[in-house]
Amino acid sequence: MKSFLSFSLLLLATLVSAISSTGDRLLAVLDDVAEKATYSKFLGDLESRGFKITYETPKSESLSLFRLGERKYDHVIFFPTKAKGLGPNLTPNLLVQFLNQKGNILLTLSSEVPAATSLVSLLTELDITLPSDRTGLVVDHFNHDVLSAADAHDVLLLPVPRPARPDVADLFASGAPADTPIAFPRGAGVLLGAGPLLTPIVRAPATAYLYNPKEQAEVLAADELFGAGAQLALVAGMQARNSARLAVVGSAEMLSDKWFDAKVTKVGEKKEVPTYNREVAKRVAGWAFQETGVLKVNWVEHRLNEAGPGANVSNPAMYRIKNDVTYKISLSQWDWDKWTGFTVPANDDLQLEFSMLSPFHRLHLAVDAAHSSPEATAYTASFKLPDQHGIFNFKVNYKRPFLTNIEEKNTVSVRHMAHDEWPRSYVISGAWPWIAGIGATITAWLAFVAVWMFSKPADARVVLKKTQ
Amino acid sequence: MAPKRHNARDITPSAAATTQAGPTTAGTVPATAAVTKPYRVSVTTKDSWAQVVGNVWSHYLKTTPQRTKLIDVFMAFLIVVGALQFLYCVLAGNYPFNAFLSGFSATVGQFVLTASLRMQTTEANKSDFPSVSPERAFADYVVCSLILHFFCVNFIN
Amino acid sequence: MHFSKSLLSAALLLAAGVAEAASSWSFDDATVAVVSKKAGDGLKEKLNAKKPLSKPVTIGSSDTIKITLTAKDNGSGKRPHQAFVVLKDVDSGLEAPFPLTTKDTGKAVGQISQKEIPVQLLLATKPLQASIVIGSFGSAHGLNTHLFDLTVQLDPNAPAPSTEKTLRYAKQPEIHHIFKADPKNPPKIISLVFALAVVATVPALFLGWFSLGANLDHLTTALGKAPLSHTAFLGSIVAMEFVFFLYYSTWNLFQVLPVVGLVGAVTVLSGTKALGEVQARRLAGQR
Repeated sequence: MKSFLSFSLLLLATLVSAISSTGDRLLAVLDDVAEKATYSKFLGDLESRGFKITYETPKSESLSLFRLGERKYDHVIFFPTKAKGLGPNLTPNLLVQFLNQKGNILLTLSSEVPAATSLVSLLTELDITLPSDRTGLVVDHFNHDVLSAADAHDVLLLPVPRPARPDVADLFASGAPADTPIAFPRGAGVLLGAGPLLTPIVRAPATAYLYNPKEQAEVLAADELFGAGAQLALVAGMQARNSARLAVVGSAEMLSDKWFDAKVTKVGEKKEVPTYNREVAKRVAGWAFQETGVLKVNWVEHRLNEAGPGANVSNPAMYRIKNDVTYKISLSQWDWDKWTGFTVPANDDLQLEFSMLSPFHRLHLAVDAAHSSPEATAYTASFKLPDQHGIFNFKVNYKRPFLTNIEEKNTVSVRHMAHDEWPRSYVISGAWPWIAGIGATITAWLAFVAVWMFSKPADARVVLKKTQ
Repeated sequence: MAPKRHNARDITPSAAATTQAGPTTAGTVPATAAVTKPYRVSVTTKDSWAQVVGNVWSHYLKTTPQRTKLIDVFMAFLIVVGALQFLYCVLAGNYPFNAFLSGFSATVGQFVLTASLRMQTTEANKSDFPSVSPERAFADYVVCSLILHFFCVNFIN
Repeated sequence: MHFSKSLLSAALLLAAGVAEAASSWSFDDATVAVVSKKAGDGLKEKLNAKKPLSKPVTIGSSDTIKITLTAKDNGSGKRPHQAFVVLKDVDSGLEAPFPLTTKDTGKAVGQISQKEIPVQLLLATKPLQASIVIGSFGSAHGLNTHLFDLTVQLDPNAPAPSTEKTLRYAKQPEIHHIFKADPKNPPKIISLVFALAVVATVPALFLGWFSLGANLDHLTTALGKAPLSHTAFLGSIVAMEFVFFLYYSTWNLFQVLPVVGLVGAVTVLSGTKALGEVQARRLAGQR
């Protein structure tokens, strides 16, 4: 009840304050503030979702990510800038610090303007690699827009980004109309490292490749290929351990008004179709700015699943080995403007670990409809504690691409059997002879006491000998 | 005194038994042992063993007071009960082990206590315990036995 | 779609020399050769855009495969911007592009040695699918077609290449604790037999005593001389054992201890008297 109350209060507070689950102060860094007209629809969408956007140029002296050690902004969006560096207020160090303080960054690249060195260093820090000359152009001679890039082939038409793995949450493609491509005009691509924090959102088609239009316009030397095919990420996401997010969009142009409204035609087709850019831009920005895929734990409860005096105690500090226990956890997901119950993606599994150093149990948590509501879904698992005493953790460690990390740990001690909790010896048939042994010994001893005290000497011969 | 005389007679066969074991451990040939100690040759045969045991037995029957025999019967009973419990443990496994320990140690402990009672009350040992009267020994015996029973009942769960 | 179309148009071009509105890329004089350091030139096969080689090409541990072809746009040799040989693991979908070195005439050469192939592909269970991608700017259609299959023969003497399994956030296999097996009781019949055998020794003891002439004849004398102390002494010993029995069956230690103290006091007090009487009998030679 109490948890529910605080939960609804929290819900109310979030509704009032911002549309993102973490804050609404957004900084947009552009070369020239007038450039924002190019992206008016994209930025307008953000504003209509509740973000308060501050526009700054890297040269601006008032530009600062922090004030008195606290973040001044909750999110930053970088549009391509011509200057080589971004000045003293946006050094890679400060940007990393911004991420460490749970700030989110949306970073856009362009094939026409090399990325600022500060951003390149930041990306290198995160194991995201740009071409050595800080930019490149992704072309595809098989999947380009015939209308706008019949010769240059540099406006790629990409399918809506389905999850790469079947068990990953589908945040970007769900509900998308079939056959509406994403236009990816004049963009660069990045290579992602092998770490689990990096996830490609849009990969390049198998036949696409990246080249440098200045130096490799005529000949692409065999040993100078930066990347091709699915290894090139055109839109990528990085979620840090503290759930701060960074998204890289290879083509800033794809967020522009022009491509939101453009009609495109695929190679070999005549039909002109609208692009999916507006929706995908909303979803990528929404993901980066913690509007989707944000999870939270409402409450955790574990209790004894046995009849007896401890059955009604919630979250006891101690259990006994081999106790039957039930664990419940309630999860919510922030969905643009409200908390909804979190449903685990198909093929994925929410798992509970019962661990001391290493897990003794790792179990599936099933939906508990009785304790769920539209705002929160409860998951439950019941199991028998291991026959090992010690300090254990109920641990839900749910880390998945695109979803904020959940690491919920509840420590309990598990004691061994008390001396009066063992089965009694008469219950154990194997103990009968030994019980009989004690019984016989005591009975015989009582008789012996009586005999010793009251036996009259009967053997005359012995008496005779004694008196001799 | 009569018991002392009996004791002197008692020594002969038991000494024969120990010296009989002596030559073999010394590694000497039994024949030479027979030569050096001719009067003990008869002891080495099987028949004479039965004879020795028979001697001891009849001597026991003759000289032991009836009251001591009653104690001995009780001790024999405890040996049988203990042996049965131990045999069961060997045959059927020691689960539950605490039950085995308490059952078996009740019997063994009772045996030990009874043996001390026998030592302290036998007429022959009177000189060894000048200050302990048989009744005093018995009182100790009762108290110790009760404590033993309590521990065993407690431990068997 | 576009792939079959380009094939079709290529076929048309070859057959009739009729130019379509949109030209397309093709290739000619394509060969694949396995160059072995030890044995010199091995297998050499001609490649065809319409049909992949029927037999897979095998690459040994120190071998290199060499692919040569002449790229053609609309039938005449021309340098394409993109001329990749792509190796693909059919199962995992992983691809590795190998760009060819192209010349103005459209002649393209590429060499792939085994150690250049990524480890994940080396470990593929099925033959790798090698295809060619030729494309360039302009209106000409690109060509993307399956050329041949490639079997990788690993060096049996060298340790097999291994990939460190990259950490991916995903569900993990379930773990269920394996409990120690409950201790097993021996067959009840054996326990019963032994319990009965133990119990049976008690009457046997009584029989033994009886045969030796044990009796309780002095009980009456004793009760006559010190009735209270003897009853109290014997009674308290029996009561003590009964308390032990209650402790075993129902009582807890804190119920037991005061009663034990009480009964014990009775035993001690009555015991001195009772044993004094026994001593009197002994001194009288009645024991």
